Amino acid sequence: MIMAKVDAEESIIRRNRPGTKSENWCSWPDEPFEEMDSTLAVQQFIQQSIARDASCVDEILTPPDGQDEGVWKYEHLRQFCMELNGLAVKLQTECNPETCTQMTATEQWIFLCAAHKTPKECPAIDYTRHTLDGAACLLNSNKYFPSRVSIKESSVAKLGSVCRRVYRIFSHAYFHHRALFDEYENETSLCKRFTVFVTKYNLMSKDNLIVPILEDMQSLPSESEA
Amino acid sequence: MIDEGPGSLSGGQGNPMMSGGPGMSGRPQQDDNNQRTQYTMPGILHFLQTEWARFEMERSQFEVERAELQARIAFLQGERKGQENLKQDLVRRIKMLEFALKQERAKYHKLKYGSEMNPDELKPPSFDKDNMKDEVIETNPVASPATTATWRQGRQLLRQYLQEVGYTDTIIDVRSARVRSLLGLQPQTDTGEGAQPALVNGDSMNNRRAIDQGKARGSGKMPSYVEGALMDSEASVLATFDFLANENVADDDDENLSDENEEGISADDENDERIEKSRSKIKTAGIEGMAGVDDGEAEEVLAEFDFLVSETGEGAGEAQSHGDGPEWVKKELGSPNEEWGVDQQLISKLKEEYKKERKTRKTTGGVQSGGNLASGNRKAGVTVNNNPDEELEAISVGLGELAEITVNNDADPANYDQITAPTEVFRKTWNAKYTLRSHFDGVRTLAFHPTDSVLITGSEDHTLKLWNLQKTVQSKKAASLDVEPVYTFRGHMGPVLCLAVSASGEQCYSGGMDSTIQCWNIPSSNIDPYDSFDSKVLQDTMVAHTDAVWGLSIHNTKSQLLSCSADGTVRLWSPGTKSPLLNTFTVDSEDGVPTSVDFVRCDPGQMVASFTSANTYLFDLETNKQILTLETKQNSESGSNNQINCVVNHPTLPITITAHEDRHIRFFDINTGKMIHSMVAHLDAVTCLAVDPNGLYLLSGSHDCSIRLWNLDSKTCVQEITAHRKKFDESIHAVVFHPSKPYIASAGADALAKVFV
Repeated sequence: MIMAKVDAEESIIRRNRPGTKSENWCSWPDEPFEEMDSTLAVQQFIQQSIARDASCVDEILTPPDGQDEGVWKYEHLRQFCMELNGLAVKLQTECNPETCTQMTATEQWIFLCAAHKTPKECPAIDYTRHTLDGAACLLNSNKYFPSRVSIKESSVAKLGSVCRRVYRIFSHAYFHHRALFDEYENETSLCKRFTVFVTKYNLMSKDNLIVPILEDMQSLPSESEA
Repeated sequence: MIDEGPGSLSGGQGNPMMSGGPGMSGRPQQDDNNQRTQYTMPGILHFLQTEWARFEMERSQFEVERAELQARIAFLQGERKGQENLKQDLVRRIKMLEFALKQERAKYHKLKYGSEMNPDELKPPSFDKDNMKDEVIETNPVASPATTATWRQGRQLLRQYLQEVGYTDTIIDVRSARVRSLLGLQPQTDTGEGAQPALVNGDSMNNRRAIDQGKARGSGKMPSYVEGALMDSEASVLATFDFLANENVADDDDENLSDENEEGISADDENDERIEKSRSKIKTAGIEGMAGVDDGEAEEVLAEFDFLVSETGEGAGEAQSHGDGPEWVKKELGSPNEEWGVDQQLISKLKEEYKKERKTRKTTGGVQSGGNLASGNRKAGVTVNNNPDEELEAISVGLGELAEITVNNDADPANYDQITAPTEVFRKTWNAKYTLRSHFDGVRTLAFHPTDSVLITGSEDHTLKLWNLQKTVQSKKAASLDVEPVYTFRGHMGPVLCLAVSASGEQCYSGGMDSTIQCWNIPSSNIDPYDSFDSKVLQDTMVAHTDAVWGLSIHNTKSQLLSCSADGTVRLWSPGTKSPLLNTFTVDSEDGVPTSVDFVRCDPGQMVASFTSANTYLFDLETNKQILTLETKQNSESGSNNQINCVVNHPTLPITITAHEDRHIRFFDINTGKMIHSMVAHLDAVTCLAVDPNGLYLLSGSHDCSIRLWNLDSKTCVQEITAHRKKFDESIHAVVFHPSKPYIASAGADALAKVFV
């Protein structure tokens, strides 16, 4: 409604002003990547494409021409961690330390929480929170990621371990809180996007991708193509 | 001759009975003799004159003697008091030793037999008996002058002797040395002895060592055997007590704490009594307060202080009486007396030294307590908390600079004395000190804790984070410190848009795009960031709005909350109650939706709400009615899109300030609704406003990436800081003042929050 009031003659002002209704949140016309002069252009670009259609995973994961891959991966991981907060909120209501005493997915592994000085068997919900908090600290660390425009190669190497840990949240939700996972996945396609992302940029080994979402996804495009 | 006129007159009147009387009666006889022996007139006159001169001499001698004696009396009285205090102190020490011994025995008994001893035996020493004795002694001299006389004789002898060896100077030396040593400022020359102080007690143990050393030194210097012996015994007693106290302190940790406290209280009571009694005008309580702050085991040191203070107090009295004497002598005498001239010099010297001594004591006191606090000795605070009554007592009795020093030091070192000198503080420029990076997306809102260096931020990444500015991470750049959050609040299913912290600092409320208002119990700012999940942090969720909640305002005293939402309503809440929603306010739909709300600070029954239509209304919270329309829309230049992004009320004056999309900040009188002032404040839309707690300065943030500080009086910009980068066309979402500390903070679309000092 407010957005509608923006003068068409003037250049479009992309703002969520106070009073913006939730349906109008970020509902401005797309800005071409070339016109983004902000230091946060990559984030803007990613968020813009997610807002357009969250299920278009491949489109979201296609970088603009000439985009530095390190920054691209970094910004995507930031976005994943941010959106995983939503899953964590949902998990908080259902996944409590009494029922999920350990961070598990399949019975094969118990994951130790790396947020502590000595890795610890945290309950699943704590593992989730700690991992996300730790990821937030690392990805915002002035030491490793002082700039969001160019990122050192050594810091890019850190992204793999963040992905590995963060992925366990998906796997735990999938194997232990399936209804919740499905609900969230339907809204966001986050696990799908994540799986494609880590596969595309080789951030995790295929063996670790235990949520059978790629299979579904591989079947999906073929269906749509058909 | 004229000068002598009144002198002779007064002389004649001064001793009419003693000398004048007989003289008068003798005169006629002399006249008779005159006639008989044929004295010449000049001869008679000469005789009379010589006689007169003789009388005058005698009289003045008498006066001198009298003055001297009076001064001596005063001196001796002062000395006696000093001795009394010394005795009293020693008696008290003995009592305390006895008590300590009893405690030891009780402990031993308990350990051995596993049962409590007779509790009567464990009573802390009461000093009533002492006081009784004191009173007896004090009345004694009056009752039996005979004993006093002999006493005085002995004293005089002693004093003469002491004067020969320069007692007065020495005693001052010793006193000041003791004071200094008490305050721990004694240069530790005897490090061999004091090198290994049992640090159980921290400073006070050091002090104690120093006392002992000082005592030992003093006694070494002391020419008087009596005093020397006294000091020696005192030192040894102290040393013994030291040892005992040590053990006592060790016990503190377990069960003897209450005993210690009792002891402290009784000692304190005693001090109070003594303050009244000693009639010394020294500000004992100031020192007492300081001593109280000093350390846990302060009671003992305190007693020592008290003793010293009263002693020096007597010294003052002494000097005073000496001082009074000669002045009066001078007036009466007319001609200066040799002996007294010397004494006057001595007195002034005494006075000077005494003043110096006092000064040293004061400064050392200040330095010491300051040092204690600066060195992070938080014990002081603990003491205050533990024995608030005691402390209050001390402070209420306490006066003078020392008490003030204590209070000042008690405050946080980072604390700014905004209350005392607001203008001075704001004359300084604010510099970015902390960068708060941990959010993944734009920070929409932030709020400070009412008292601590703690703030909470709310972000579009759906989380809120708690930051403790005292927990910083070393950063490469020394200019700004990085802070990591201590807690992440997860509960919103969408961007967090607004935030309010309760006046107690225990709860906070956040409104979000998900239409909810979440009520959080703020965890301790020293919580381990990777602690286990506590579901009690999310206290409650208040659901009533049907669209994004964009504004919150909390009332400090009423614990009521206002919220405004994109669903077009403003709601009044009473968080924490069964049905928290108290009231709902709506306006005509053509006004769009509310963008910002704020309680009227000078009238808690009212609130203002601004709307996307650029209208601002004043509501009465009781009657649920619009009272007034502020002329916000009429004064807007363009009707198209000039919504108000933020509305705040002045903390004390009936003024409402609005931040407009058209780059203006406007000021309105709440009573009339008329505009007071309008100014183009930024290069782009003004998004946020904050008024400092004193109502002198205004802070504004804008999408032009800058925050600006305005003097509310002159409406001029005092400082501009470029704070955040742009994301799309947004830059700064919120600015805020700390309610009690020298911090300002800004929240930006670049996912950072910054704190300026």
